[in-house]
Amino acid sequence: MSLDASRGTATAEALPLATAAAAPTGRLRRGWRRMVRRPASVAGCIVVLIFVTMAIGAPWIATTDPLRTDWGKIRKAPTWANPFGTDDLGRDTLSRVVWGSRISMQAGVFSILLAMVMGVPIGLVAGYYRGALDQLIMRLTDAWLAFPFLILAIGLVTIMGPSLTNATLAIGLGATPTYIRLTRGLALSTKEEDYVLAARALGAGDVRLMRRHVFPNIFSALLVQATVSIPTAVIAEAILSFLGLGVQPPAPSWGTMLNAAQQFLESAPWMAYWPGLAIFSLALSFNLAGDGLRDLLDPKDY
Amino acid sequence: MFEFLVRRVVISIVTLFVISLVVFTGVRMIPGDPARVMAGTDADEAGLEEIREKYGLKDPVPVQYLRWVGLALGGDLGESIRTRQSVAWTVAQKLPITIQLAGFAVLIAVAIAIPAGVLAAVRRNSIWDLLASGLSLCGVSVPNFWLGIMLILLVSVRLGWLPASGFVPFWEDPLGNLQRMIMPAFVLGTALAAVLMRQTRNSMIEVLSADYIRTARAKGLAGRAVIFRHAIRNGLIPVVTILGLQMGALMGGAVVTEQIFVVPGFGRLIVEAVFTRDYPLVQGVVLITASAYVLINLLVDVSYSLLNPRIRIRGAAGES
Repeated sequence: MSLDASRGTATAEALPLATAAAAPTGRLRRGWRRMVRRPASVAGCIVVLIFVTMAIGAPWIATTDPLRTDWGKIRKAPTWANPFGTDDLGRDTLSRVVWGSRISMQAGVFSILLAMVMGVPIGLVAGYYRGALDQLIMRLTDAWLAFPFLILAIGLVTIMGPSLTNATLAIGLGATPTYIRLTRGLALSTKEEDYVLAARALGAGDVRLMRRHVFPNIFSALLVQATVSIPTAVIAEAILSFLGLGVQPPAPSWGTMLNAAQQFLESAPWMAYWPGLAIFSLALSFNLAGDGLRDLLDPKDY
Repeated sequence: MFEFLVRRVVISIVTLFVISLVVFTGVRMIPGDPARVMAGTDADEAGLEEIREKYGLKDPVPVQYLRWVGLALGGDLGESIRTRQSVAWTVAQKLPITIQLAGFAVLIAVAIAIPAGVLAAVRRNSIWDLLASGLSLCGVSVPNFWLGIMLILLVSVRLGWLPASGFVPFWEDPLGNLQRMIMPAFVLGTALAAVLMRQTRNSMIEVLSADYIRTARAKGLAGRAVIFRHAIRNGLIPVVTILGLQMGALMGGAVVTEQIFVVPGFGRLIVEAVFTRDYPLVQGVVLITASAYVLINLLVDVSYSLLNPRIRIRGAAGES
């Protein structure tokens, strides 16, 4: 599962670079120089890569079984054998944090992919055709946006039951309206560009125009948005699991780990340090990487 | 002007209608017999039949929908399966606590974000700007429930300065109430502060480069007067919009914060309702939250269109 997730991001990252390479190379080099001037963004990218490696390589990195309980090692402070300590069932916290990155990445990447797969075509159609269809879509989107993400997720989980899949679905559905609006706005301005008008004059049909001319030109903006929505989705999964509405124990999710940790703050604070720190650093590095990516892909100065 | 108001109100009504449809359909998507869901697990066939009669579950679905909307408009949202008390009453009991919490959170967020954002914009690229941007980035990235847990660990467990959790009504013990509210309000306000700070900085930077600011400077006004008298007033308009749009996130954040600090508000109510499968209560809470969001944003839009003629003209000129 998580292997697929990482492959998804890998191809997604390769695409805009390919489009950027087709553009004058000077732009790419300028973007690169801009990015290197922001060491924080580079650091963010590196940390994201570390987390991706951790998610893929969990079985080799954390050799202790994250689910194995040990009654002789209940809530033991960090030692060499268990550098992050053990939890209330004697499980190794380090191993659980490493395996937890799989769940977080999976929820973060898949939910945003879902939001894009649903939101981008709807937004394209709305922005491209305008008119009554656009009005209808935008009114529905308004109503959709009115459900705060967590309330929406709570409603969905009540109907469908708590699980990682349903949490991912709920997060994806919650993020979809953002992509509808963004794509619509971008499509509105792009479809008036000369190259689109030229392609239309050459007799290209609507679908071809949208797919071959509008979409590739708004892709980089969508990608930047994705980089900043993934951390939000990661935090959202942790929140749902923390509340018991997402991943169910004993699976090692950072959110469920923090839920357990809350009861032992006085006697075993290390249970609370690491999962939270993991969420924080993953979210922070995604945000930093997103800022850098925006600089790299957007010729406008921010 | 009038046209803009009417348009905005009509759009809100359409949105509320769609919301009601979604919530109504959502509850009907729960697997199983609704009568059995309402009756709970210990009901015989006769009892189920009685419930079907009482709630009109045999009527056609559109009729059921209209009846449900009619009752909801009159304030009747059904009754909780678990406590048998009316949903509206249950929510009304819990709401003031969450409003107090959210109100404090907004105050804290605004008190941090606006001065910091203005400072960052005025001293652009200075150490202050860097610090403000860094803090804002951290504020967006930190999971607020973890921040809450860490605060409890530091302030309550280690230092023993504030009680870790619980709630006392303000009129019974004002000091105790504030002592218990300050940490949750801070935690809830963090993400909001981060978003507001970024928005304040960006819109202030934009305003400060506008022509009328240059004019004000050129006529010899002191830097401070330009910022306070001219720039802030216009720079904060987009911030108010963002504040309205962030209300949804704030309500969601309240759910988590109340869970950690054991604040007996709206948020704990909804989580409890999910776990006890109290469908009418979940339905009512979702409906109320979404409607509140729409109404708050309607008020935000209308109030500042009254304040700023330029916006109401641009707004009427046909955005989506």
